[in-house]
Amino acid sequence: MRALADLGLVEAADAVARRDVTSTALLEACLARLDAVNKIVNATIWVDRDRARAAAAAADAALAAGKQVGRLHGIPLAHKDMYYQAGRPCTCGSAIRRDFVPDITCTVVQRLSDAGAYSFAGLNMAEFAQNPTGHNRAFGDCHNPWNPPYITGGSSSGSGAAVASGVTYASLGSDTGGSIRLPASACGVTGIKPTQTRVSRYGVMPLSFSADNVGPLTRSARDCARVLSLIAGTDPNDPTCSREPVPDYEAALTGDLRGMHIGVPTNAFTNIAEAPVIEALEAALKVLEGRGAIIVRLELPLMKAISAYVAVISRAEAAAIHSQWMRERAADYAVHLSARLYGGYAIPAAYYVEALARRGPVLKAFAAEVFGKVDLLATPTIPTCLPTLAETDIDHGPPGTEQKFMAVSINTRPFNYLGLPAASAPCGFDPNGLPIGLQIAGRPFAEARVLRAVDAYQRDTDWHRQRPPVVPR
Amino acid sequence: MDFLATTEAAIAAWHGITPPNDAARRLATDLASTVAAFEAVRGSLRFEDEPSSFEAALQECKE
Repeated sequence: MRALADLGLVEAADAVARRDVTSTALLEACLARLDAVNKIVNATIWVDRDRARAAAAAADAALAAGKQVGRLHGIPLAHKDMYYQAGRPCTCGSAIRRDFVPDITCTVVQRLSDAGAYSFAGLNMAEFAQNPTGHNRAFGDCHNPWNPPYITGGSSSGSGAAVASGVTYASLGSDTGGSIRLPASACGVTGIKPTQTRVSRYGVMPLSFSADNVGPLTRSARDCARVLSLIAGTDPNDPTCSREPVPDYEAALTGDLRGMHIGVPTNAFTNIAEAPVIEALEAALKVLEGRGAIIVRLELPLMKAISAYVAVISRAEAAAIHSQWMRERAADYAVHLSARLYGGYAIPAAYYVEALARRGPVLKAFAAEVFGKVDLLATPTIPTCLPTLAETDIDHGPPGTEQKFMAVSINTRPFNYLGLPAASAPCGFDPNGLPIGLQIAGRPFAEARVLRAVDAYQRDTDWHRQRPPVVPR
Repeated sequence: MDFLATTEAAIAAWHGITPPNDAARRLATDLASTVAAFEAVRGSLRFEDEPSSFEAALQECKE
């Protein structure tokens, strides 16, 4: 019998609704797991046990009183520490905001709360969500639960480590260049970056106005579907948020991929890929074929343009956001962050505007050529075997460490420029025992199709059910 | 003036920010690759292109 902390989100929520288990029992299981693993993985920045226990007791009392409850009633959750919750810390993983306590609550956490969930911790993250590895000078590096000297992926490092370790049933991450998909891949969990504008960003720490996305990391596509159904949709507090209707993502999980064309790029995404990653990708494609998908090898257009443009947008926007602190408190940033921000100030405005102005035309041309032939794209999430924290430590490593650091996110960034939905799901392990991720991307607002493919894959595999060695047996 | 010196001078003049560390200088030097990448796509921008077309493109390209 599985431990309560190892249940999936939907399983846990359904068990509470049936009154098979109490919210208090789930919370205590999560807290016990946290106490067992956190000295190794360092997944949290703060934990609020008292307020969480009160919320759990209230959830149990509501059920006992026969009240109508939401789809996440009584579920304890922990999120990347950049989601504003009135009266609670929100460090953004930084020394600069170590004492910041917002007076508003972000839309997405409010929506989860409206569905009955409650938060019990703020999770470790890259400083201001700006590295792909999980290094953090202010609160300590986050460690991979599968093999602690290795990176967790970032920037939602604590989210990946905590979901994998059974500390939380789901976690909100953010994704500007891969920050949901990278820790999902590295930690062996499932995450989805929705279409740009799909989910409100009101009350969420900004990094890049044009490329920031909010999305879940969970243990399965079904769990992602539950969270996305609750958080997606128009928000009067976020004028950039789409009015596109939100489908029932869980209803789309039929397991049927018959006739679905899945494209595998031949000219990008595998250029620096290593053999174990390629083998895992090819094995995953066979599983998808077994579900009825048709695999199509194809060349992707415009990759040089996408590569050029994606390099400037978030960098220029982050530089602008951080300019005052870079003038006054540069030493309070980690070296890798202030170093990256610094170059952003030299990007010409004309380059930045060109990258933004070309985004629509490039998306239209890309979609016409690619999605005229296939429904989805499949690639490795991270093309290489995972590096260690030491190998990617810009702050203390030799010159040249930057290249290894930046290579981690080479396969995720293009979909941020294009604004396309993209998920990562575990599909194997590398020789060091670290998870390998399968990235599935689709048309704008095709989250249901993306999740259907991942769910179908997970019906025939058990990579997503495996638990890391750090979890007590 | 070489690329790094020019870059440092521009950042200091336009933003009042100096290199915080050696890694910042190395990454600033790497901006030359950004210039090269833009050189490779010169001529792509059309006179009528503008950023607001992106949201319209998301709608136009959806399922």
